[in-house]
Amino acid sequence: MGFLQIASAHKAYHTPEGAQVRALDDVTIDVRNNEFLTLLGPSGCGKTTLLKCIAGFEDLDGGDLLLEGRSLKGVPAHRRPFNTVFQNYALFPHMTIAQNIGYGLDVAGVRKPERDRRVGEALEMVGLSGFDSRRPAQLSGGQQQRVALARSLVLKPRVLLLDEPLSALDRKMRETMQIELKNLQHSVGITFIFVTHDQEEALAMSDRIAVLSNGRLQQIGRSTEVYDTPANEFVANFVGTSNLFTGRVTERNDRLLTIETANGRRLAARSDGFAVGDGVTLVLRPEHLRIAEPGEGGAGCTIEGTVKDAVFVGSIVHVHVDVGFGRTAILHHRHERAGASAAVAPGASVRIAYSPESVHLIAAAGG
Amino acid sequence: MFRGFKTFRLWPTLFNAYGFLFLAFLYLPLGLILLYSFNANPINMAVWTGFTLDWYATIFGGAGVKGSFDAAFTEAPERIFAVVKNSFLVAVSAATISTVIGTVTAIALARYRFVGKRFYQALLILPMLVPDIVLGIALLVFFVGAGFQLSLLTIIIGHVTFLSSYVFVVVSTRLAGMDTTLEQASADLGAGPLTTFRRVTLPQIMPGVVGGFLLAFIISLDDVVITYFIAGVGSQTLPLFILAMMRRGLRPQITALAVLIILFSFVVATVGLLLRNRKP
Ligand SMILES: Nc1ncnc2c1ncn2[C@@H]1O[C@H](COP(=O)(O)OP(=O)(O)O)[C@@H](O)[C@H]1O
Ligand SMILES: [Mg+2]
Repeated sequence: MGFLQIASAHKAYHTPEGAQVRALDDVTIDVRNNEFLTLLGPSGCGKTTLLKCIAGFEDLDGGDLLLEGRSLKGVPAHRRPFNTVFQNYALFPHMTIAQNIGYGLDVAGVRKPERDRRVGEALEMVGLSGFDSRRPAQLSGGQQQRVALARSLVLKPRVLLLDEPLSALDRKMRETMQIELKNLQHSVGITFIFVTHDQEEALAMSDRIAVLSNGRLQQIGRSTEVYDTPANEFVANFVGTSNLFTGRVTERNDRLLTIETANGRRLAARSDGFAVGDGVTLVLRPEHLRIAEPGEGGAGCTIEGTVKDAVFVGSIVHVHVDVGFGRTAILHHRHERAGASAAVAPGASVRIAYSPESVHLIAAAGG
Repeated sequence: MFRGFKTFRLWPTLFNAYGFLFLAFLYLPLGLILLYSFNANPINMAVWTGFTLDWYATIFGGAGVKGSFDAAFTEAPERIFAVVKNSFLVAVSAATISTVIGTVTAIALARYRFVGKRFYQALLILPMLVPDIVLGIALLVFFVGAGFQLSLLTIIIGHVTFLSSYVFVVVSTRLAGMDTTLEQASADLGAGPLTTFRRVTLPQIMPGVVGGFLLAFIISLDDVVITYFIAGVGSQTLPLFILAMMRRGLRPQITALAVLIILFSFVVATVGLLLRNRKP
């Protein structure tokens, strides 16, 4: 029996034009106790819908939600032991910070001395002691964010739901809050379900990531799993940057496979699975590609091309290489002091090299 | 030497002149009423014969009426007091009832989904578009048909029928501007629907509710046309009373009464604005 089970959740919306949008399409996730789970996906993929269904603001059309084996069907939002941190924080503008944080306790009938003590603790936890009598409008975005957190956490929910809580903050603040949130989750020992469309944020914070697209669950796993072994092309493209080449296995030599693409390109990869004739897609991460020295690189482990662009982003240079047939590969080249980078100037002919071990293979759909 | 000439600018000057004329156009009649109400000349108000507070005094019963000629044109303070009392009774009752009905309806329409919602919304706005005279006749026909004795009660019911629409519109506007996630947040923190309404929704829409009440109050207070049809013999309101006085000509006492009404409306509007601008 899991902790919080999302069991083949279905939810459709009807647009005013009469069309039907499948916001959730057979989503099954076993949320574990005390984990930091991130729902990751592009805008419109159904993340908020799933969060609303868990919180109880929306009902599922099909499937079920089970908390420790008990169905949440028919349980209204105000009776669910979950709390939400809203994207716009949704602090009550007519109440002080202390009243905002004490609201849930007050509604639950907690007496004033006890309530004041717990509100004080919560304020301290988020570093806002002394802000009790201010109004939400008098706080910065980051401070409002902390109040929203404190207001939810003071109730000690079983699950804390966070809908893109960092998206309204500037970059520096966001990075600080990412670390703080993660530490907070560890110290309070509450399950966090965190929604974001930012894959870097997801990778930085999560114990596990559930990738959603078009209302369907694409993959769920630890951050490194999702990044290193994406389940399909969508995940490979959405989480990090990928160079994808699709073809058919033409040779198998022990664990070394040769894959031939439709354009006749022959590429090597090492893998335990797959047999001759299987359709596969190679996933090559930019950091696993390098520019080969003259004469270096075994058969099938190089790709010829011409440098199109070299984008300097600091410690590394993103090199865009035209590899023919209208395809561009991206590789991360370590930045050298000026003068040493002539090899990656636009127009230069280069050979890209990679190790067959670094390739991840995805079974081609229907292949 | 040419400095004055050089800094003369045509457009700003014209705009200022326009602004001045427009304000004069708006306020000249009101200013005249104010002036006349202090004019001692009892026969021709346009001819200034001296300053007096007598006309105000006659309203409050502080000064006797001097000649028998004047007496024919002034009303006794008790009469005035009675109709003012009627007007306030009607305005307060009608505004209160309409505020409750209008607010509840606005919330129901804004927060719940049901069949025929749009149609219902249109129906609610209709009474504001129907000409007063039509509404007045319709109400009269209804009251007579239903066997009502025309009285203050019929005026109150009549006013509620169209004032509810005004409150509905004002509160709906406020609700539309309200962040619905606040109500979700309240439920999320464990509050049932009633607690959420009392502690989150109501404080948020309060300025709209108060504004709606004051609007309804003022409209009810100075309504003539509809009230004219549904007022009974003993249920004259202030506007009807003034209308009746006017039949015998425009007398100075009326101008004094008018100034007091303007003053009162001004106070109500100021209170309304203050309440609306008050920080939450
Ligand atoms: N109330 C609604 N009515 C109609 N369509 C909706 C409604 N809410 C969400 N949708 C649609 O459902 C899909 C998923 O939305 P949402 O869960 O908000 O996505 P996300 O949070 O991942 O950006 C989108 O296509 C969106 O347009
Ligand atoms: Mg969303």
